[in-house]
Amino acid sequence: MFRNYLKTAMRNLLRNKLFSFINIAGLAIGLAAFILITLFVRDEFSWDRHWSGADDIYRMEMTYTQPGQVDRKSPNAVDPLKDIFLNTFPEVEAVSRYLEFDVGLRQGDAMYGQRILFADHNFLDFFNVRFVEGSREAVFSDLGGAVISQRTAEKYFGTASALGKSLTLHLPNGDRDFYVAGVVENPKRDSVIQHDFLVPFNRDYFTGMRWFTEDWRFAARTSFVRFAPGTNVDAIRAAMPDLVERHMPKGTDSTETGTSWSVDVDLVKLGDVHLYGNGANGDAGVLYGFLGIAFLILLIAVVNFLNLSMARTAHRAREVAVRKVLGAARGHVIQQFLAESVLLGLVALLIALAMVELALPYYNAFLSTVLELNLMSEPVVALLLLVLGIGVGLSAGSLQALYFAMLKPRDVLYSSTSADNGTGRLRQVLVVTQFAISAGLMIIAFFVNQQTQFARALDLGFNPDNLLVVARTNNDQGDTFKRRLLASPYITAIGRSSDVPTQGSEDRMQVRPITGDDTVTIDGLPSGPDFFRVYQIPLLAGRYLEDMPADITRARGEEGEYRRSSNIIINALAAKRLGFESPQAAIGQLVAANLTRDLRVDTTIVGVVADFHFDSARDVIRPGIYYTDEYRQSDMTVRYDPANKAAALDVLNETWRATYPDSILEYTSMEDMVERQYQTDARLGEMLTMFTLLAVTISAMGLYGLASFTAERRTKEIGIRKVLGARLRDIVGLFLWQFSKPILLANLIAWPVAFFFLDDWLDGFAYRIDLSLLPFVGAACAALAIGWLTVAGRAYVVARTNPINALRHE
Amino acid sequence: MLKLHNLSKVYRTDEVETAALNSVNIEIESGEFVAIMGPSGCGKSTLLNIVGMLDTPSSGDYVFMGENVARYSEAKLSNIRKQNIGFIFQSFNLIDELSVEENIELALLYHNIPASERRARVERVMDKVGIAHRAKHMPSQLSGGQQQRVAVARAVVGDQAMILADEPTGNLDSAHGQEVMEMLQALNEEGTTIVMVTHSPAHADYARRTINLFDGHVVTENLRAAV
Repeated sequence: MFRNYLKTAMRNLLRNKLFSFINIAGLAIGLAAFILITLFVRDEFSWDRHWSGADDIYRMEMTYTQPGQVDRKSPNAVDPLKDIFLNTFPEVEAVSRYLEFDVGLRQGDAMYGQRILFADHNFLDFFNVRFVEGSREAVFSDLGGAVISQRTAEKYFGTASALGKSLTLHLPNGDRDFYVAGVVENPKRDSVIQHDFLVPFNRDYFTGMRWFTEDWRFAARTSFVRFAPGTNVDAIRAAMPDLVERHMPKGTDSTETGTSWSVDVDLVKLGDVHLYGNGANGDAGVLYGFLGIAFLILLIAVVNFLNLSMARTAHRAREVAVRKVLGAARGHVIQQFLAESVLLGLVALLIALAMVELALPYYNAFLSTVLELNLMSEPVVALLLLVLGIGVGLSAGSLQALYFAMLKPRDVLYSSTSADNGTGRLRQVLVVTQFAISAGLMIIAFFVNQQTQFARALDLGFNPDNLLVVARTNNDQGDTFKRRLLASPYITAIGRSSDVPTQGSEDRMQVRPITGDDTVTIDGLPSGPDFFRVYQIPLLAGRYLEDMPADITRARGEEGEYRRSSNIIINALAAKRLGFESPQAAIGQLVAANLTRDLRVDTTIVGVVADFHFDSARDVIRPGIYYTDEYRQSDMTVRYDPANKAAALDVLNETWRATYPDSILEYTSMEDMVERQYQTDARLGEMLTMFTLLAVTISAMGLYGLASFTAERRTKEIGIRKVLGARLRDIVGLFLWQFSKPILLANLIAWPVAFFFLDDWLDGFAYRIDLSLLPFVGAACAALAIGWLTVAGRAYVVARTNPINALRHE
Repeated sequence: MLKLHNLSKVYRTDEVETAALNSVNIEIESGEFVAIMGPSGCGKSTLLNIVGMLDTPSSGDYVFMGENVARYSEAKLSNIRKQNIGFIFQSFNLIDELSVEENIELALLYHNIPASERRARVERVMDKVGIAHRAKHMPSQLSGGQQQRVAVARAVVGDQAMILADEPTGNLDSAHGQEVMEMLQALNEEGTTIVMVTHSPAHADYARRTINLFDGHVVTENLRAAV
């Protein structure tokens, strides 16, 4: 019997090549888009699931809260927590920590930058890292042995065995030699733990660095805890506030111990760290959004199929009627049509898999990732895809099967009216659904891209072009380095600061306004005197800070003490917040600023600068105070002459080598940093555009099929109209109008949905575009234009047919 | 074979009620050849639909082979139909996508008959109606007469006891029409009951009895003298 079904199905497919093509291609494109999106989403959700016992491993994280300040979220935990956990909870099997630190590595004469994990002794056991050379028992027994990954071994030693070879690391307390005690497998790409270079942790390497104390303010080490299987981790989480309360030292000096601030300890499952941990790289919300789009596209494709197959019911009604007369029961009919659509679904799936295979290299390049689909090694995925193909086939064929099962043979075999009655309205609903989704996506994609462009074009208040930010100059040679650079004609300006624009400031100061009202919170930015010159931030009143004692709040060589009074600069917003009528009015005024709760400095405003973006462009500009703190100038911003960029870079490199022979120069361009802020949104916009195009394509294909069908079905009507005097353009107009109605209706449905979604999304931006009506109307026009282009050709051909032929057709 | 007693069929739309059949009483014996005649809209097709169990009466009884099937469910009717009744239509109603032999085989497909036996029976019946040389052809490649022969073959391949023919010659020229009538006559002589709706008095003459319908009533029944 199935052979008979198959034969009928195949011959029907071949007889109506256009319909078959549209049906299968639509489904295939929909499935391919669905697979591509879910591949990406699955990859993002599957980080760090590969470790043995991953479900029982949690990362300890800390969040610092201080009144008036922004919460500081750390992916690390303070050192004392290890023992506290081991002593408090019998469920804790082990704790393992590492300190991630970038150092210079010397091999012979060559210098490299290398990220090192200074790990606890049990790290290799804890994560069950597999060895390629050497054995777990032999390593970490003495402090001089390092364990490196295969790719690290290849980097430094080529194909030769790395075991026993030595490397020199430039550590904070001087150079140390290490020998390679073991080589382990490369860390997985989708892991937050990149163990390329492991060195046994030794406190001696870091003596003198004040964050290496028992101080609870400094969470330095990434700390993982493994619980016994079946542990109720929620209960342990609930015990955290009490644990912190009992163990965190409370001194009188709030700058060293926590009285004015509080800390929360959280446990994040290893597999969740990538998406939900502090400093997470992924964004689960966006992923769910993508998943939603994947289902919408699949829905459009299935709707396409439903629509075209329902349009064609008249063609096959006679076959079904005959089959029923000859004894086919309802079950037989349902079976036949479901089998047919499942077959189509599976064919579409095969085509989709080929499409995915072809598209993956480009998709990966676009997402800068390395997704792959390997059905041989992942039978579960293969099975799921099979289920998907069958599921899509079943849902796509369901309406048709049901319709035919209910069909009464006498209606088809004896009556002259078309069996098509009743499916017309349903088809309209389906077209409306399709175009509502397409139009909605069009509108959303448009505004998301618009917002990204708007954010890019936003005046940042400073000039980000031709700037390089050099790290690790916060030391005794910093001044020398700066002086040497400035000697070059290719370097036009240099400014120093604790942070640079796009990074934001964590410092919040309490300052009393001139009116004597309650203190207001103002962002503080420790900077050097040249900061505003290098960033070209315009002065509104007064002067910039200069390199002179009165302008320095904390000077190098004064034992780290702040001065009781100094000159500062504020921005226009701060001037307003402090109650000054104009920037000019603020000049020369004395305000008391609390750098921290107990540290008060009497500051004199000597300059007011224009407002500029220091945080992400998503955030609103806040009032700011800028003062010179020579201890907090970790970033050096260098402005070069754009006409001599290469020469400027050479100077930078040479000067670095001359000043810091033992470390690696690291710099970033400010343009890149600014661009990176928009990357997530820009990528979101690009993804949306891509998938919107797919959705629109599938919808248009469906509409074309539907138009062809209608043209065929209305041949007689058109013949009669022409005999009665209708002109070519009347007929074409008739057609266009018929298809315009559902598209217009679809837009009316899509508009409010898109509006509320976008309004909500845009609310996340301090500087956002307004939703104007025009793009909504534009989307409707675009949908109409696409619809008309799709339908017009068909309509024209039909309208030109000689009415005699048309009437003879019936 | 079958007996219709006080059988009525009323079609209702929102506003109009049309009586297609009005208290019809008909009895057809096994092995009979009955022609049903009457003007357009007299209820011929409705009658044939009910007899063929493609439709159910609004009231009255329909006793088929001793069973009153008037209130049977669609599934039950479908089962009785496929065992006992074959259909021939004016417009042939062959499936365009299936070849001649596949179209004929279709009538056996829903009967749980093994493939080999199906093939044998299809070949036998194709020989009988003289279409064997066209076995692999598609309906569109055949003349009207040939198509109707395929339809006849399909109606009898399952050894149905009764054939319902709805104007079987309506789409054929006179030569081909006569050919089909002779085929039906031969089938009747082998014992198959035949009920045929026709407009052609000449073709009605092949039947042993003619029932004339008018406005849903049986007006006359003419018994033709045995030849």
